[in-house]
Amino acid sequence: MSYYDIDAILTDAEKIPCTFQLDIPDLGYLDNTPNQPLKAGTKVSLPLWLAEMLVIANTGGPDNKTFVTFDLPRALGNDVVQALKADPRAVPLRDQSAHFYGLATHMMDLSEEQELGSVLRKTFVTRAAEISLHARKVGGVSAKGKGKEEGSNLGIGGAGEEFLRGLDEWERKLFRKAHDGAKSGKEWMESIKKN
Amino acid sequence: MALPLPLGLTHSEVAFLAEMELVTVVPRQRLESIDLLSGKTPPLRPPHRTDLPLWLALLLKKQRRANIVPPPWMHPASLADIVHRETKVHPQAFSEPMPTASRARQSEPGYAGRIGGSGDNNSGEVILSPPFQSNCTSAAPAGYLPYHWLEVAEALVTHASDDLGGNTSEIRGLLRDLVEVRAAKMRDSAETLGAEGQGGVVSLRGVGAMELAENRGFVLGVVDGVRKIGGAVETARREREEEMDLGGGEGGRGGYGGDGDSDDDMGI
Amino acid sequence: MDIDDILREVDPTFHAVPQEKRNLQELTRAWIAERSAPELLPWPADGLFERVNDSIKRQIEKVEEMTGDMDPKTNFALIVIQTELERFKYLVRSYLRARISKIDRHTLHYLSTDALRSRLSEMELAYATRHQALLHNHYLSSFLSSFPSALQNLNDSAGINMVETPDLESAVFIRLLKDTLVEGRGVDSDGAMDGRESDIVILRWADAKSLVENGSAELV
Repeated sequence: MSYYDIDAILTDAEKIPCTFQLDIPDLGYLDNTPNQPLKAGTKVSLPLWLAEMLVIANTGGPDNKTFVTFDLPRALGNDVVQALKADPRAVPLRDQSAHFYGLATHMMDLSEEQELGSVLRKTFVTRAAEISLHARKVGGVSAKGKGKEEGSNLGIGGAGEEFLRGLDEWERKLFRKAHDGAKSGKEWMESIKKN
Repeated sequence: MALPLPLGLTHSEVAFLAEMELVTVVPRQRLESIDLLSGKTPPLRPPHRTDLPLWLALLLKKQRRANIVPPPWMHPASLADIVHRETKVHPQAFSEPMPTASRARQSEPGYAGRIGGSGDNNSGEVILSPPFQSNCTSAAPAGYLPYHWLEVAEALVTHASDDLGGNTSEIRGLLRDLVEVRAAKMRDSAETLGAEGQGGVVSLRGVGAMELAENRGFVLGVVDGVRKIGGAVETARREREEEMDLGGGEGGRGGYGGDGDSDDDMGI
Repeated sequence: MDIDDILREVDPTFHAVPQEKRNLQELTRAWIAERSAPELLPWPADGLFERVNDSIKRQIEKVEEMTGDMDPKTNFALIVIQTELERFKYLVRSYLRARISKIDRHTLHYLSTDALRSRLSEMELAYATRHQALLHNHYLSSFLSSFPSALQNLNDSAGINMVETPDLESAVFIRLLKDTLVEGRGVDSDGAMDGRESDIVILRWADAKSLVENGSAELV
């Protein structure tokens, strides 16, 4: 990971559901009980960067416990995974997380999630093919629309626009690459005739 | 000033490159040899044919100092043949690239011949590759598309259409067909690249320069994305394999750990 | 022409491709490679760049001589010479600028070890060093100096390394220049293929690098 990568930094800020494994004095305010200890077993959502440290770090006690255990965030929960298995193109990933894949790869680094990994790979590849199709269409209608927002000047109707709105950051970058490629191809074709 | 472009040649850079392809011209005027950085040009003596780089041929053409002889692969019959092969015979793959390279080098003195293809790299000989393989001269074979096929063909269709024997519109149509059928293959390749069980090497033999320029960002984006999503899986696999290698001596399950256990994907 | 050029000229294996064409092929190859590789490649060691630069200088002098006598007959030759000259200058500039953009993006990385520094030409090394010093002074005077001294470093490597590096695992396209075995790592299996000359192959740069370095393949 790169130090100055904004997307990586934003991904690190995503909240992860964690369960504390031991009582911690004075941390009760994390659970809306100020001035109290935070009880073992309390569920608190922590940003990924913090959760990661507490999951890896050892309390140093005799039982080798970690400070917290974590669950997969809702964005990667069973509902989403089942929906992705049914049809990857029908799920607006961005509604789950703008950094959906970034979050997912981070989580998979922390714990082995065989099934999640293969579902996500299939999701990414299937949606990539769809992205390429849309990007090409957009290149075709000349990108000089008046729309201000990325999704609004696409010149493609309903379902397509819906799909593009649901792209996460990785996918948006991919869309841009596919779009730029198609567009500069068109520009080159037009330029031959001029000189 | 630093170049602001993303990695990989852009369309206009590829077009620039393609202008170095040699094409055959028939001079209409005499012109003495010119001492260029890339070597002396041959003196032009009408009506003797000569090979010149495309940029120079187009310059002569625009000044009506020469006509351009289209390469044989641009003939409608050749293009139609390639369209047929790309759609009917091998609908999944790009057609075979032009076999010029080895053919040309074999005729060169000091070239030892291609036996096994390795071991001849100490000579320091430079290996020519497109656009320096004479793939677009009148001596190039028909029935193959060279790496810079689209750039050269478009340039000739646009600037030397009167040299195409009245076939310009037919050639245009065939070129469009080729662009389309090959673009679909390029798109499909993205799914192959991401497919489960895909090893780390994928060949796109026969792909053209412009097709790469157009799809490079997307295709490499898919490959890199799949790698990152599969990062944890790959790390775990490597650790398992390392353990197996270490314990392989005693454990040695039959047949495993022999030569090249890499290309059979033994369903994990 | 120096002794190296003369020796090259009389070497029998070089008869096939004249020196000028070799220079152009090598310059073009170096340019494409630098435009495609995720990291800065070594500055050509065989004096290619100096050779090309010298010939460009000589050509410019010739153009100046030729513009002196304006015979319309030589005029067309002049146009041709100038057109080609511009093409060479474009190649050289684009090559240098592609390198500078990589040096700019990862300056501290390329200055960090002798092996990495040796990839830069003398001029590039001077540029990178001075540019980094200017930047550092600028950062210091505009904000770094207000930080606690422990937080003023730009190259801390505890935790996530502050010195960013190019991603050597990113995928590239290569063309095989001869038949050769191509091996590449994948996610759930590693692959190997008996590559044929002219194959265009996608694989990770880290896996492609050795093929490119030993001349079995080139970046496209």
